[in-house]
Amino acid sequence: MSWVTWRQYRLQGTIAAAVLAAFAAVILVDGIEIAAHWHTLLVACAGSSACLQREPRPTLVNGVVSDLPYISLIVPAVLGMLWGAPLVANELETRTSDFAWAQSVTRARWLTAKAGWLLLAAAVCGGVISALTTWWSGPNNALQASAFQPGQFDTQGIVPIGYAVFAMALGIAAGTIARRTLPGIAVALGGFIGLRVVISDLLRPHYMPAVTTYYRLTSSFAPSGQAWVFSQGAVSKSGQVVAAGWGNVYSVLPATCQKLFNNVAPPSKSGNLAPLMSCMQANGWRGFVTYQPASRYWPFQGIETGIYLLLAAALIAVTFRIVRKRDA
Amino acid sequence: MNWLVWRQYRTQGALALALLAAFTAVALWQGFQVASQWHSMVATCAGNSQCLRPGDLIRGVANGVPYLTLIVPVVLGALWGAPLVASELESRTSDFAWSQSVTRVRWLAVKAGWLLLAAAACGGVVAALVTWWSGPENAQLANAFISPQFDTQGIVPIGYAVFAMALGIAAGAVVRRTLPAIAVVFAGFIGLRYVIDGFIRPHLMAAVTTYFNVTGNFSPPGAAWVLNQGAVSPTGQAVSEVYGFWLYATLPASCQKLVPGGAPTKGASSSLNALYSCMQANGWREFVTYQPASRYWPFQGIETGIYLLLAAALIAVTFAIVRRRDA
Repeated sequence: MSWVTWRQYRLQGTIAAAVLAAFAAVILVDGIEIAAHWHTLLVACAGSSACLQREPRPTLVNGVVSDLPYISLIVPAVLGMLWGAPLVANELETRTSDFAWAQSVTRARWLTAKAGWLLLAAAVCGGVISALTTWWSGPNNALQASAFQPGQFDTQGIVPIGYAVFAMALGIAAGTIARRTLPGIAVALGGFIGLRVVISDLLRPHYMPAVTTYYRLTSSFAPSGQAWVFSQGAVSKSGQVVAAGWGNVYSVLPATCQKLFNNVAPPSKSGNLAPLMSCMQANGWRGFVTYQPASRYWPFQGIETGIYLLLAAALIAVTFRIVRKRDA
Repeated sequence: MNWLVWRQYRTQGALALALLAAFTAVALWQGFQVASQWHSMVATCAGNSQCLRPGDLIRGVANGVPYLTLIVPVVLGALWGAPLVASELESRTSDFAWSQSVTRVRWLAVKAGWLLLAAAACGGVVAALVTWWSGPENAQLANAFISPQFDTQGIVPIGYAVFAMALGIAAGAVVRRTLPAIAVVFAGFIGLRYVIDGFIRPHLMAAVTTYFNVTGNFSPPGAAWVLNQGAVSPTGQAVSEVYGFWLYATLPASCQKLVPGGAPTKGASSSLNALYSCMQANGWREFVTYQPASRYWPFQGIETGIYLLLAAALIAVTFAIVRRRDA
């Protein structure tokens, strides 16, 4: 069976390997250059984190190459569509299942071997892309403290493996249920994108309750490390929450503070905002930041990967049930 | 023929309409929220453009949705375009379709015509919604000319959609099998978009470079597309770093001394004025290389034109193949 799988997928496998190799070459060349820049920067700043974090922060990444990791977000869906969806559906459409399922190999073993290899291939593709992206992003993550942000979180660590395995399982299951390749492909693509949007936008922020820190406006506070900040701004004495941004804050300030605001307009943190901050402080305002601490990065990666692997397992279980029961 | 196309594609059409309606609902819901917040900010700041900058417009759950629309053309091309000829050949229904009184040319013209029109309509509706939705953000951040914004607004999405559909139809006719054709659509569309975005678009017109005094300030007016900026030494060595860390090593020693903490940041403190005066005295200038905001629509037009021309070429190839192929 492994040999049959190899014969059926060797062309696709070769193409995938070539694309992966090209991706790896670009990322390696660019990544080495970034690492050298980063090293220069560290030496110039002599380990002073304040020096590294001054605005505007220097740019490390090349715009053209830095699009590649975002483009790679579509890879799981492509694998699920082109390899997963036809697995059962195409055999049924061309009636080759009549032949495949009439051999001494049981259907369960037939499906185990084919689906097993494809799921493994998806995991390897996802893992290789993710490993390269994670390494390539290292200096930029350190500089921008951005590893936890959507976009970075989704392309690094272990979650891309979960996405790839899930998309492949979805393609296989969709093809089996729809019994036709093209609708299977549409379901794999729509389902993958839809679920990714719902989970990353609506579920991920709530895997653990977010932390809110209040601080004095005359001082400053930023969550340490690569935290994921949801919102920040100021809270009035009566509890009114105002998101950061002078356009938002101005209209709700007491008149005495508004006068100070006008003095420093256009406001900028580096100007003499101190009197305004003191005024807000005196009127009972506090600053707040709501965030997920940096220490939760790996728990979040684990939870999200787990969700996708569980869904993949459920989809594969459904596929086995259908294939075993279906009339040949 | 029109009736036949309708019968073959009514499920897909209904699905696409439902998705478009859902997208419209999200765009309108978010767009009105952003617009009302923007109006209150504009009123508060009373025309002070600096005041508007730091404010956060609503970046709610649907913030990433405009970027998702980048994928619409390739989905249409893969699911509707690729099977147009390939699926007929695979299932041998072409034997039947091509032996009717309707000529192959007319058969293809009607089917491809409706699909290309549908692609253009989908691309246009989505782009119109995203353009309206992004209006306040574009005004606040002056970013309409920057990559993901430029690609999801204006008229280019129509060009992308028509091209992707044409690519799907042509790939199906050339490869004669649906699945490989779908793969070609994905690879071809994403690859071409990447190459044109990254390597061709910045050079559609010669970029403008403005040099200015280090002690002064200059930024291109409006929503310009800044390609590069930094400082240039008296010998012409350009350092592509705004106020930079990379700059530090190339400065004369007399100026390096003035760098507080070993690395300068413009505007961080007034003491930097000494550094800038020193750079100025040593013959350094700053530069910005950019595409002016006034070129936004010419660039939209050129890029749309490129994709429409490619689409026309692909459709011509498809006609040539379908006419000659043995039924």
